[in-house]
Amino acid sequence: MNHPLLGQAGERHLLLGNEAIVRGALEAGVNMVACYPGTPSSEVPDTLNKLRACQRFTLEYSVNEKVALEVGGGAALAGALTLVTMKHVGVNVAADPLLTMTYTGLPGGLVLLSADDPGCHASQNEQDNRYYARFASMPCFEPANPQEAKDMTKAALLLARETQQPVLLRTTTRINHMRGPVTFGPLGEPAPIVPFSRNVRRFVPVPATARARHPMLLQHMEDMRVIAEKSPFNTTAGNAKVGVIASGVSRAYLHDVLMAHGWEGKVRVLELGMTWPLPEQKIELFMRSVHALLVLEEGEPLVEAELRCLAQKQGLPLAIHGKHDPLTRLGEYSTTKIAEALGAILDEKVENACGLHCEELPQRPPNLCAGCAHRSAFYAVRQIFGDDAMYSSDIGCYTLGVLPPLSGADFAFCMGSSISSGSGFAHVSGKPVVAFIGDSTFFHSGLTGLANAVFNRHNLLVVILDNGTTAMTGHQPNPGVSAEVLGEQAAHLDIEAIVKSMGVARVEKVRGYNQKALQRTLEELKGQNGVRVLLVEEPCVLFARRTLKKARTQVAFVAEQGEAAEKCLATFACQAFCKNAEGVAVDEELCAGCMVCMQLSPAFKARKRGTE
Amino acid sequence: MSQKLRIYLTGVGGQGTLTATTLLTRIILDQNLPVVAGEIHGMAQRGGVVESTILIGGWQSPSIQLGEVDILLGFEPLETLRGLAYLRTGGAVFSSTEFTPPPSVSAGKAVLPPMESIQKSVAEVAEKAWFFPIKTIGLQAGSQQSGNTALIAAACASGLIPVSIEALEAGIRKYMPAKLVEVNLKAVALGVEALHTTGKH
Repeated sequence: MNHPLLGQAGERHLLLGNEAIVRGALEAGVNMVACYPGTPSSEVPDTLNKLRACQRFTLEYSVNEKVALEVGGGAALAGALTLVTMKHVGVNVAADPLLTMTYTGLPGGLVLLSADDPGCHASQNEQDNRYYARFASMPCFEPANPQEAKDMTKAALLLARETQQPVLLRTTTRINHMRGPVTFGPLGEPAPIVPFSRNVRRFVPVPATARARHPMLLQHMEDMRVIAEKSPFNTTAGNAKVGVIASGVSRAYLHDVLMAHGWEGKVRVLELGMTWPLPEQKIELFMRSVHALLVLEEGEPLVEAELRCLAQKQGLPLAIHGKHDPLTRLGEYSTTKIAEALGAILDEKVENACGLHCEELPQRPPNLCAGCAHRSAFYAVRQIFGDDAMYSSDIGCYTLGVLPPLSGADFAFCMGSSISSGSGFAHVSGKPVVAFIGDSTFFHSGLTGLANAVFNRHNLLVVILDNGTTAMTGHQPNPGVSAEVLGEQAAHLDIEAIVKSMGVARVEKVRGYNQKALQRTLEELKGQNGVRVLLVEEPCVLFARRTLKKARTQVAFVAEQGEAAEKCLATFACQAFCKNAEGVAVDEELCAGCMVCMQLSPAFKARKRGTE
Repeated sequence: MSQKLRIYLTGVGGQGTLTATTLLTRIILDQNLPVVAGEIHGMAQRGGVVESTILIGGWQSPSIQLGEVDILLGFEPLETLRGLAYLRTGGAVFSSTEFTPPPSVSAGKAVLPPMESIQKSVAEVAEKAWFFPIKTIGLQAGSQQSGNTALIAAACASGLIPVSIEALEAGIRKYMPAKLVEVNLKAVALGVEALHTTGKH
C-alpha cells in the first residue's frame, strides 16, 4: 500500500505529533497496538487504522483503557512489541494492570502512550501523568516537537524491548496537535516475536513472588538512570551563570523566548527529553555550574522537587526558582509566562504585548449538532421529569446536554460514572435520578455499574443514548457499532440483550427521533421503581451522513411564525434554528431533516430539500 | 535566518479551518521555509471555535500569545473580532464578512456586532485589512468550503505570506483530493480577483 507514513528513510513530511508517533512505532517494528480513543491521543490509532492494509501490525480498539493495557500486556508477554495508547484519564482506568506489569516485566516490550491535557482543552481534569512514571516505576520520554515524537516513540519501544520492561511516552495536547517537519529513519521490519517461557516466579505475582520482584524493579530503575545519564535526549548547551532545566513543551517555549529576546548567550540550558529517572549526575554537574536555576515544567513541580532534594543532599548553594507566579501548577505554560519568569532572574525588562480586547462578545460553546438525537432525548426527558429529577451525566457528546435549555446534567465524574454515582445519589437523596450514558461509554464501564445497580437493588432510570458509534472522539468502532460497519474486523454486541440478561426487569427501546414514543415510554418508566433502562437508538447524524451514506432528503421550514415557533426555538434550540427579523428560520445547510421540530410544534413543516 | 512570520487562523468547527491550515503549512514547508503549526479544537467539532497557528522562520513552539500575530485569517467575522486580541499593532487582517451565528444569537438572546463595527475595531489595530464574502465566493467556485481557499489565495496574492499563487496552485494539486482540485483552483482565481477589486480597509 502507498501512504506518506510508509515512505523511505530520508524523506521529510509535515506531520501531526500523533502521526509522528505512528511513524516512530513503524520504524521500531511495532507488532501490536491496542487503544481506547480519547482527545488528544485519538489520531494515533485512527492513523494506524488507515494503515492496516500494510499488514505490519495488528490494531485493536479495545472497550476501555484497562482492557487495552491488559490486551497489550498479554501480547507483550507472548512476545510482541506493543504500543498502547490513551488519554491521561484513561491511565487511571488502566492503573491496576500497569502497576503490576512493571513487577513482572513484559518480554516483547510495551510502551504506554499517555496523552495529557494541561488546560483541559477536552478533558474533565488536567492531571499530570508523569506521576505514573514514578508511581509504577517506568522510564519516561517527553517529546517537544513532532520530530522528537517520532524519534522518542522509536527509542521508547526499542528500550522496552531491550529491557523487557514497560516505558511511558508522555505527551501533552500541544505536542499531539502540533504539526512540524519530520525526517524519516528507515522503516523497521516487524520485530521478531520473543518466545514465552513459563516462569511462575516472575509472571504470577502472588505475594511471595511479588516481594521478590520489587527489588528487581528498583534495580531496573537504577539501571535506567544510567541510560538517562547518556541519553541523547538529555542535552546541555550554553555557558552562563543562570541555568534553566526544561522539559516537555516548555523546551520549545524556552527556545522561542531566547530567540525572540536575544537571550541565547545569557543562559545555560539543560533540556530533559528522557525525564524519568532523572540523570542525577548530569543534573548535579549542571547545578554546580550555575548560580541560579529556573525549572520549567507544566503541571506539578515534580522535577523541581527532585532538584531541591538533590541540592540539599549535595549541599549546593544555588537559588532554585520553580512554581511561582506566573509559572503555576494551573493550565499551560506559554512564551510570555516563561519570558516573564526568566526576565526576572536575568534582571531584564520584559514587555509583553496585550492586543486589543473587545467588549463582551457572544460566546460560541460547542453544541449538539443539528439533527443530533441526543437533543431529542434530552428534550423528552425534561418534558417528563422537569426539575424534579436529578440528571447523572457521563463522558461523551451528551455531556453537552448540560447547556440550557436542555439542562440535562447535574453531575458527572468520569467514563461510566453516570449509572453508579446515580445509584448512590438516588439512595441518599431519595429523588428520582436519570442517568445518561452513550453506547461506547456503556461498553467502556457502564456494564459494571449496571450490574451493581441490579445487584444492590438501586433505584434509577438509565437512558442509554445509542448512536451506534464513538461520536465525540471521531467515530471509532465500539461493540455497539452495527455489524455492517464493523465488517470482518470485529463483532457486534447487542445492548438490549446484554441489559436484559443482566436482570434489568424493565427495558424499553425507542427511536431517538420519535418524540411521541419517547415521551410516552418515559412517562411509563417514571411511574416505576428499581433499575429501568430506556435504550434510545438513532445513528449519530454525522456518522449517518459520512459513513452510512444516508442522504438528507427533507428539510424543515417554519410555515407559520408566532408563539409556537418561538417556543420551539426557546425550548428545543436546534443548532439549525436562527432568530431573524421575521421570527424563526431554519438554516437549510445545517438542518439534518430529522423532523423532530415538526413533532414538537405545528409551526414547523417538512419539504423536499432543494425546493422552496 | 529567514523572515519570521506568525499567522493566526480562526473559524467555526466544521468550517474547514484545520484543513486550510494544514494545506497552507505543507505548501510553506515545500518552499523550504522552517515552519510549525498548531491547532486547538477540543470539543469544537461540535460548532465551537477552532483556532490554529502557523509560525514561519525558526519558531519551535506552536502557540502565539496576545498581540503577537502578524497576519490574522478570519474565516468567520465574529471570530475575527474575538481573535483580534492576538494581532500585533500594525498587523494585517483577511476576514470573511459572512457570519455563522453562535447559539445565543440564534436563540435571539444576543446580537452580532455589525460588520462596520468589526471593521472599525480591526482598523484600530491592523495596518492593512481586507474583507470578503467567502461563503458566497466559495459557492461561486463550486462549494462553500472552498471559500477558505479563496481567503488564503487573497493573503498569498497580497505578498504578505511568502507563498506565490503558483505555489498555492501546485500545493492544491499535490495535496487535495482529485475531485476537489478544480473547485479550489477556481476559488484561488476568485480570491486573487477579490483582493484586487475589494478596497483595502
